[in-house]
Amino acid sequence: VAHRADGTGERASEADTIVPTPTQKHSICMVSDFFYPNMGGVESHIYQLSQCLMEKGHKVVIATHAYGRRKGVRYLTGGLKVYYLPLQVMYNQSTATSCFHSLPLLRCVFVREAVTVVHAHSSFSAMAHDALFHAKTMGLNTVFTDHSLFGFADMSSVLTNKLLTVSLCDTTHIVCVSYTSKENTVLRAALDPRIVSVIPNAVDPTDFTPDPARAPRGRITVVVISRLVYRKGIDLLGGIIPELCLRHPDLDFLIGGEGPKRIVLEEVREKYQLHDRVRLLGALEHREVRDVLVQGHIFLNTSLTEAFCMAIVEGASCGLQVVSTRVGGIPEVLPDDLILLCDPTVRSLSDGLEAVIGRLRRGAVASPAAVHARVRSLYTWRDVAERTEKVYDRVCVEEVLPLAGRLLRLRDHCGGVAGSIFAFVAVLNFLFLLLLRWLVPDQGMDRALDASGPQALWGPPQRDPPAEEAGEGSQPQRDPWSDGAPTAEGPLV
Amino acid sequence: MGPDIAPGPDVPWRKVLWERQPFPDNYVDERFLEELRRNEGIRQYRYWAVVKEAVLVGQQLSCVAIFITFWLYMEQGLLSPEVLLWTSLIVGVLGYGLHNALRPQLGTDREPRTHLADLQSAAIFLSFTFGFSPVLKTLTESVSTDTVYAMSALMLLAHLVSFPYAHPSPTGSLSLNAALFASVCLASRLPGALHTFAMLSCALLMFALWPCLLQSIRDHAIGPSAWLCVAVCLGGVGGLGSRWLGGAVLLALALVSVILLCPLLLVKLQRHKDNIQGPWDEAEIHEDLCKVPY
Repeated sequence: VAHRADGTGERASEADTIVPTPTQKHSICMVSDFFYPNMGGVESHIYQLSQCLMEKGHKVVIATHAYGRRKGVRYLTGGLKVYYLPLQVMYNQSTATSCFHSLPLLRCVFVREAVTVVHAHSSFSAMAHDALFHAKTMGLNTVFTDHSLFGFADMSSVLTNKLLTVSLCDTTHIVCVSYTSKENTVLRAALDPRIVSVIPNAVDPTDFTPDPARAPRGRITVVVISRLVYRKGIDLLGGIIPELCLRHPDLDFLIGGEGPKRIVLEEVREKYQLHDRVRLLGALEHREVRDVLVQGHIFLNTSLTEAFCMAIVEGASCGLQVVSTRVGGIPEVLPDDLILLCDPTVRSLSDGLEAVIGRLRRGAVASPAAVHARVRSLYTWRDVAERTEKVYDRVCVEEVLPLAGRLLRLRDHCGGVAGSIFAFVAVLNFLFLLLLRWLVPDQGMDRALDASGPQALWGPPQRDPPAEEAGEGSQPQRDPWSDGAPTAEGPLV
Repeated sequence: MGPDIAPGPDVPWRKVLWERQPFPDNYVDERFLEELRRNEGIRQYRYWAVVKEAVLVGQQLSCVAIFITFWLYMEQGLLSPEVLLWTSLIVGVLGYGLHNALRPQLGTDREPRTHLADLQSAAIFLSFTFGFSPVLKTLTESVSTDTVYAMSALMLLAHLVSFPYAHPSPTGSLSLNAALFASVCLASRLPGALHTFAMLSCALLMFALWPCLLQSIRDHAIGPSAWLCVAVCLGGVGGLGSRWLGGAVLLALALVSVILLCPLLLVKLQRHKDNIQGPWDEAEIHEDLCKVPY
């Protein structure tokens, strides 16, 4: 992880932004189907957040399903312990769920690691929902982070939203990555908006630094990096490419990513003989993304829906000018001088690109280094970890609903039929837990040796109190309420 | 919906993520869900307008009933195939004439089929059907009667379910094929080859050509076409009633429920509709992406 490998200068400049108030240290278990070695937004979010939380002194373990032959316990950088549980994968790296079969394994993890907070990620992950269910049965506090937007109208959405309502009706706190995502999640699961926090994603700015020398001189390159699927608006891209290549002979397109819509781009390239001007790079590893980004001047995002688009922040961090569709949470992500927003039509995106190309030609754009300097301070993982830590502090003082309260909440909140079914399942789950506790009592289970947290045996050394630093990189707007002022909510109804 | 303690600073809350704002992460502003739109662009249905459209469904049901009536008559020997053939021919010619008379209403953007082409198609169909009717007659000899009836019923049901009610003129392939398959099954149970030929011609007329005529009448004037459909429904009930009273009662009940009851349900249940739209929806691509410069 780059933010560990760089020198202490980086750390010291961030150090004085951490509020040195002693908070209790939590023992957190992150659960999701999606983790390393799978690469993606959710995976890197979990990893980076865990690293920053460990840096703050908390104990973090991760539970995910086994990837091929990668089963059992593995240790990642900094003593991050990952449990690869042998659960059957069904589709798209998501496990099957029966609400019961993962209870013994997850109970083992939670008891051995003395977990106090279970933090589940991603609505698409069945294991995350299972873990939430079991954690509530075991009386642990739960947090759920949602990373995506969903519709409401089609049959699959109706069913998924119902399952989400059941899963989240007694979850202690929910985190969303943008305000639009918060509104969407509140509507989908009929939640009280006060238990939903908005904590955006972040980007590691040292991974995405500009390199203006790499971009070819005399030509303007537009970079697109996304999965080539319908949702990412590849059809729009296929409409933009011929028009713009016709009007600007010095314009090139560099497209990274793979997917079923690749054929659309290949057809366009074939039809207009743009083989030398449109390059399709295929699937890219995460570490190769930066090298592709720095070869361009403009980053184009044509998504039809996004909760929080990481790609545009990565593009801006590499110093590119960003052109994007105005959908989902994208308008909230970057300030107006760093991004140009367009309607999701070919006409509007073409006009937007024309405007940015015009600006580039006139030299009326900020240098890549200036853009990078602005973006690097906007979203940092340490900021995310600090805000998440506040969520954990808030969560730990909440009461976990006992079984009776939980059944009532399921019946009231989730509707007559679904609520009754899942109340029944919750009772069975509880009985199964009692059986497991009788067979293998909690006291009989060995406690695992900590690899991170306050009693870490071999994790990173604890942080020293922050040294005084000339506040060149410090951000003065530390919010006044982070010094222990009481938070607003009373007990949840 | 806001927090209990008012935040100190006077800056308003903004829906941006890049700036750390002096509000808690779970702050709920009064602008929360301000972009939510409910039930946008839903149609208001009016009862009699929906009934007029639903009559088309009833009409197709009655068409099937009339076809079965003809088959019943032929099977019991009360209708001779020559009479059916001549009637079909005359009705076909009249229908063709009517279709042609109504056709100038349509635009001239399509290449109109010449009468010669139509005559050629008709001649091909009739000659092939006549030539193959002995083969078709013995097609289901080894199949038991119950199976034939069950198959026909299933196929006619499939025809009704997949019929393109919104625009009957290019008849959907599944519905037409299902209807013709049912008619072949039923026709093969008739006493002679000529019976089979007559039945098949009648089926072609009713299932392949009648929807085209109906579509052109609807395009011309929707009012008379509704009354025409009602007439077909009454004819269906009457015809079926003359051979099988129980069937006529069932058909009448089905027609009443489809034409009168279902529209009532549709109109009444609209008030339970709850569509939500907002910035989280996936954007729709409305344009034709095949249009390109050059």
